[in-house]
Amino acid sequence: MLNSEVFIIKRDGKKELFSIDKIKNAVAKAFLSVGSFATQEVITNLLSRVSITNGASVEDIQNQVEIALMSERYYNVAKSYMLYRQKHLEDREVRDKLCFLLDYCEAKNPATGSKFDANANVENKNIATLIGELPKSNFIRLNRRLLTDRLKERYGKELADRYLDLLNHHFIYKNDETSLANYCASITMYPWLINGTMSIGGNSTVPTNLKSFCGGFVNMVFMVSSMLSGACATPEFLMYMNYFVGLEYGDDYYKHVDEVVDLSKRRRTIDKMITDCFEQIVYSINQPTGARNFQAVFWNISYYDRYYFNSLFENFVFPDGSKPDWESLSWLQKRFMKWFNKERTRSILTFPVETMALLTKDGDVLDEEYGDFTSEMYSEGHSFFTYMSDNADSLSSCCRLRNEIQDNGFSYTLGAGGVSTGSKSVLTINLNRCIQYAVKAGLPYLAFLEEVVDLVHKVQLAYNDNLILLQEKGMLPLFDAGYINMKRQYLTIGVNGLVEAAEFMGIEIKDNPDYEKFVQQVLGLIETYNKKYRTKENLFNCEMIPAENVGVKHAKWDREDGYLSPRECYNSYFYIVEDESLNVIDKFRMHGKRYIEHLTGGSALHLNLLEHLSKPQYRQLMRVAAIEGCNYFTFNIPNTVCNECGHIDKRYLKECPTCHSKDVDYLTRVIGYMKRVSNFSESRQKEAALRYYAPVR
Amino acid sequence: MLRYVNYDIVFQEIPGEVTLALNLSNCPNRCPGCHSPYLQNEVGDFLTEEVLSNLLVTYKGGITCICFMGGDVSPCEVQQLAEYLRREAPITLKVGWYSGRPQLPEDFDLQFFDYIKLGPYQQELGALKSRATNQRLYRIFDQKMIDITSCFWKKTAD
Repeated sequence: MLNSEVFIIKRDGKKELFSIDKIKNAVAKAFLSVGSFATQEVITNLLSRVSITNGASVEDIQNQVEIALMSERYYNVAKSYMLYRQKHLEDREVRDKLCFLLDYCEAKNPATGSKFDANANVENKNIATLIGELPKSNFIRLNRRLLTDRLKERYGKELADRYLDLLNHHFIYKNDETSLANYCASITMYPWLINGTMSIGGNSTVPTNLKSFCGGFVNMVFMVSSMLSGACATPEFLMYMNYFVGLEYGDDYYKHVDEVVDLSKRRRTIDKMITDCFEQIVYSINQPTGARNFQAVFWNISYYDRYYFNSLFENFVFPDGSKPDWESLSWLQKRFMKWFNKERTRSILTFPVETMALLTKDGDVLDEEYGDFTSEMYSEGHSFFTYMSDNADSLSSCCRLRNEIQDNGFSYTLGAGGVSTGSKSVLTINLNRCIQYAVKAGLPYLAFLEEVVDLVHKVQLAYNDNLILLQEKGMLPLFDAGYINMKRQYLTIGVNGLVEAAEFMGIEIKDNPDYEKFVQQVLGLIETYNKKYRTKENLFNCEMIPAENVGVKHAKWDREDGYLSPRECYNSYFYIVEDESLNVIDKFRMHGKRYIEHLTGGSALHLNLLEHLSKPQYRQLMRVAAIEGCNYFTFNIPNTVCNECGHIDKRYLKECPTCHSKDVDYLTRVIGYMKRVSNFSESRQKEAALRYYAPVR
Repeated sequence: MLRYVNYDIVFQEIPGEVTLALNLSNCPNRCPGCHSPYLQNEVGDFLTEEVLSNLLVTYKGGITCICFMGGDVSPCEVQQLAEYLRREAPITLKVGWYSGRPQLPEDFDLQFFDYIKLGPYQQELGALKSRATNQRLYRIFDQKMIDITSCFWKKTAD
């Protein structure tokens, strides 16, 4: 059995020359531990049952020793040996956790320190964020077990094994595996308006005036977010606030906002009272949250043009029988945007992520007033998303997620139907690996991909079973109380590495028939399966995931395993992010209808520019978006933050305009929200440095 | 014949417009401190009406202006191409010319242009963004040239 040149693989992955004496010692100790003694002959007999080949792992050798002890009928020795191994396993786990703890404390920022799934919206690391990191590996194990058990039950062991195999070899990636909660939701606030937070386990009664609305809203968002792993969107936030402002100061308050309504020495006007409410809500929600391991909640809101508003809320009735009023809401929307844009020069405020929903017709925005206002806000340096559609049949209420509106009806228990949606869970396909693997193995890549696509749908259904089970046990009050409607939540198939896969296939990443066909084929296949698996209870959509973490991981894993991986992060764009040859219109085109057609869950074009444009220029680009059918976009101009004096400037500057320090940092949009570049994970910082901000010549 | 090296969609050259800028080569001006000296050589492809026609097909809905950057080696050809654009492009599409000459050539026909920039680059005076610049950008209305160079200055002032 022995050969002098046999190498074994240690637990840390290193190779070591095999030593027979180590086994002999371990066996001798095991005998001694039960008060017995192993003679040379006993040991020789045992070793004759053990076969060591080149590359065997320590674990494998120990398994063989266990079996050898039992085969030779030394049962009590075998038991002692097993217990000894288990104890060491536990020690190693604790040691690993300790190492992680120390590494995390040393890491530059929390995103780099995080081992499993960096929380994007954590700015500083401290004991609270560390507490959040430590159990992540256990959550991953638990989630995998829950899912594979369900898969076995539904589809058999083979499929469960195949799932783990694809997961372990990075063909697919389960997003948010470190959390037990379902992913994200756009909620209807109507249940809160008629029941307070009691029905979701809180203790506050219904809001009755502007003050209780503001305080209650913050608490409600915190509660909802603690039961989600991702974002919480409140698309009705301003509409509800407008209702309470109206109760307080009259329905026509917006016509006399300079009126002093505060009898204190401050003599506040209506406008000041309103912006004080904005301040209270926005600053509170941007606070790190104890219940979420110091993560801020991920909060999204929406603005609407007149047509969207009508379509979503024309049947809406407040509990007192009144209806939402467009004119005052429109004033409040604009006031909030202006206030928020200005406030962002005072403080780094990440949330809310805002989306402006605009209806388009014949290549332009239908509501001219809102088209102009949107351009004005962009030209004033405000950073937000615009969602455009020819038909108010879809809405994007999250930082990326697009949904078909299935029912614009109004219900007296649930409020406006159109706003209630979200994603229960995201399971992502690494297209680059799938396609490269298939081609290298001589398989037709679409056939291989089809098997993967089919499997991810089954896995999502298994996830859904588990979620329903949790709901049946009363664990999901957001669903029971009607904040979220289970039937309007999607199971999301994510895609990543699309551009890289096309590059591998030798396709030029420009708007051309080959690339268009490739994109249509791949995303069309997923959509076919989304429809195939769709039932009354289960909706599927497909999104190009933002890939804050996953895109970096996929790029790294693929490179390590010898696949073509041309950049450090697989982005969520249809073009190569560092490609300088594409102009602004080309980029809109490559996120236009021919490319995004099958991306039912959406993807956002982040147009990186070095300088702000003028209002008419932004206005023209909105026409470009409408013509090209690019339904979701934002402009990203890095803002400058001075590390010395704290000045924030909307422009991209090398030097602080106030104190002239050159020690400046930048705020830019990673995924959906603005964040300091120095708080990105290290690999993301590298990507951000490569990112091409088109010089505005 | 005029040659062009590349084109881009730009925002700063013509204020308020989304401009398709064509970089023409073989520039005779040889300004000291030129930011694109590669355009001084006779390089690139011929700029024909067919090239313009293809660019219009690709970009006409998205742009509000087409601007010839350079072409001082043959102003009459620039004028001919501008005339072609006036004839073939949507009437709303504006046409501009960035020239490095101090003045327009004699009998130059303004009716085909909406914007014209004049003046060589002089390092000590700076480009259009500098208040000291010798360069001028004109908006053409009814064949009259209105100096709008100050549009570039407001931006740097804030």
